[in-house]
Amino acid sequence: MMNLSRSVALISLFLLPLLSFSFSVDNPTDRRVLVLLDDLSLKSSHSIFFSTLKSRGFDLDFKLAEDSKLALQRYGQYLYDGLIIFAPSTERFGGSLDSKSIADFVDSGRDLILSADTSASDLIRGIALECGVDFDEDSSAMVIDHSSFSVSDVDGDHTLIAADDLVKSHAILGKTKIEAPVLFRGVAHSLNPTNNLVLKVLSASPSAYSANPSSKLSSPPQLTGSAISLVSVMQARNNARVVISGSLQLFSDKLFRSGVQKAGSPNKYEKSGNEQFATELSKWVFHERGHLKAGSLVHHRVGETDEPAIYRIKDDLEFSVEILEWSGKSWEPYVADDVQVQFYMMSPYVLKTLSTDKKGLFHTSFKVPDVYGVFQFKVEYEKLGYTTLSLSKQIPVRPYRHNEYERFIPTAYPYYGACFTTMAGFFVFSFVYLYHK
Amino acid sequence: MLAVKVSTVLGSKTAALNVKLAQALSSGSKGSVINNQELKFDADSATYFLDSFPENFDVGKYTFVFEILLDESAQEKLYITEAQTKIPIAATGAISIENAEIAVLDGDVGSVESQKKLDLTKDGAVSLSANHLQKLRLSYQLNTPLGHVFKPHQAFLKLKHESQVEHIFLVKTSGKKSELVLDFLGLVEKLYYLSGKYEIQLTIGDASMENSLLSNIGHIELDLPERPEKAAQPPVQPTDPYSRYGPKAEISHIFRVPEKLPAKQLSLVFLGLIVLPFIAFLIGLTRLGVNIKSFPSSVGAATSALLFHGGIGAVLNIKALSLLGVFLSFVGHSTLSHLASASNKLKSA
Repeated sequence: MMNLSRSVALISLFLLPLLSFSFSVDNPTDRRVLVLLDDLSLKSSHSIFFSTLKSRGFDLDFKLAEDSKLALQRYGQYLYDGLIIFAPSTERFGGSLDSKSIADFVDSGRDLILSADTSASDLIRGIALECGVDFDEDSSAMVIDHSSFSVSDVDGDHTLIAADDLVKSHAILGKTKIEAPVLFRGVAHSLNPTNNLVLKVLSASPSAYSANPSSKLSSPPQLTGSAISLVSVMQARNNARVVISGSLQLFSDKLFRSGVQKAGSPNKYEKSGNEQFATELSKWVFHERGHLKAGSLVHHRVGETDEPAIYRIKDDLEFSVEILEWSGKSWEPYVADDVQVQFYMMSPYVLKTLSTDKKGLFHTSFKVPDVYGVFQFKVEYEKLGYTTLSLSKQIPVRPYRHNEYERFIPTAYPYYGACFTTMAGFFVFSFVYLYHK
Repeated sequence: MLAVKVSTVLGSKTAALNVKLAQALSSGSKGSVINNQELKFDADSATYFLDSFPENFDVGKYTFVFEILLDESAQEKLYITEAQTKIPIAATGAISIENAEIAVLDGDVGSVESQKKLDLTKDGAVSLSANHLQKLRLSYQLNTPLGHVFKPHQAFLKLKHESQVEHIFLVKTSGKKSELVLDFLGLVEKLYYLSGKYEIQLTIGDASMENSLLSNIGHIELDLPERPEKAAQPPVQPTDPYSRYGPKAEISHIFRVPEKLPAKQLSLVFLGLIVLPFIAFLIGLTRLGVNIKSFPSSVGAATSALLFHGGIGAVLNIKALSLLGVFLSFVGHSTLSHLASASNKLKSA
């Protein structure tokens, strides 16, 4: 008995440091990342990508996808904050990993980078389907583009695409524009049109299609044109981020270093946009950028500082909220001009855009509507590439008290006059009647 | 020009070798186009090259079979890994596109209703219209530089409706030309019965085609019958992500407008009208010659009289009603009885 409790104590002592090295509310960047490979040679063929991650402070743990000791959790605690799956041909993961445990991993708010390649096993397709991404059903199909291929395509079948249709988002791809096209060779996927959470980061050009390059087409391909997504992202409602790529070669050293020239274009670039693209995307997915935090909502009447328990209709009130953005190392004030607040009861009665003092404080003032009831101040902020903010605070609104109305109503002056003249008349009459002689 | 580099397994230079292009097997036809062509060695760049290809070497996919033989003068022990090395090669060239035209054909007869010539190297602005009883025909001819018929890997005609619903058709090549006939009568259900403006886009491409093209030919107005109840709905189209995330329109509450009250001046006018009778009363009283002569002169009576009138005034102010009421009844009784006795004295006197 003693031994058991002692060993449990020892184990939990060892676990404590593990717990402190994960992401937290104050420090949202991921720390420990599990990298699953189906071939350990990927460590060297993709070494630039992994070394940039390590240089930014990530703790990478490389394992074979079929390793039987794989585990994401131990004793109910997650061991990793992020997961990179570079194992496109793995049919079954080892250990306790399967597509359900990976879905639970993302549900817990943790991030994932998933990459398929020229072949994608059913397991990888299943995980992608959970995130709203549909890979091409034909397992021998690749993305072919006869107008947008890279001139350095060795195989000559136009499967090495030079793609430059990137999503316009500073949060996802950084402020510096990616000048050179991104080289891609792999499978196509499309996004479920009813899914609001997925987004195409790198799309194919209108002349692209997904087919087997070595056999003739007998029927029109399912995926063509800009509906083909080459790299997509998903931000779940709990702000977990997932990147799904159709090409593992996109992250390889070979394509990082290669020059690129798009067919038909005179621009020749010494270095492809792959390294910048992969680095910026990894910054976004591991919450180094685009992560917002909001303080509590503050509201009070104009001229006061305390928050009242109840408002009266037609009161003038001031509202403010503080929003900070994580820069990767510290919380910086967030600057934007599209944060809005709603004064809401079943539907918004007032919706105003907040103005910022550029130090992270967003404020506005408005008049309380003349409707009684229990209202909520709601800030629901959704911006492309940023975490969603959903804040609310409840406050009741009462009507006028009986003594808050105007004292004398001008329209009633005749009535007042009638009353008083009657009184005065009676007073005079009482004198006259008694003392008249 | 074809240049070949041969190296040892570790990548260093080799001794004198004899490199030969044994065969160039085309993916389409049987037989080899090139047979046993020896490659010349260029000492400067250490490559073996072939600078001229036979005349019948056309555009397309080939598999080149190389054979490497040791030169007889080689002294050392050298081994060659493979007797024949097969490498897939795509020979590219510019494909010519001729006689491209698009036409709307009438029903079963097939007579041409409207026909337009196309220049596929640039976007066009063709405008056609058709109903479900007609057909659309697109035809063109693709030829390799040597004049043979070319079958591209990708030959799509895309019809895109205003609501972003897209349909793709393959243009098949047979014999001398490539042609696609769309019979709208059979396609009505596939098109989800959506009438309206469809944009026409043609994409032709191939690995061996240097001038792959995407051409927006123009648009066609399709008039299709009404959708019956059981027909499939067109698929949902994705929303534009940029518009999904934008800020919402501002709402400001419209306060309930208080009822329209008459102007203040009007109320004052009526106040004046109300006060008028009182003034008239006062004037009337003075006209009548009223006086307050019989106001009691003795102090006690005078005080009670004053208090009596003060009390009436106070009552009219509706303050402290109950106490006043009691007070008033006493004082009033004393005043009025005094008055009554005074008038009695007068009457008796």
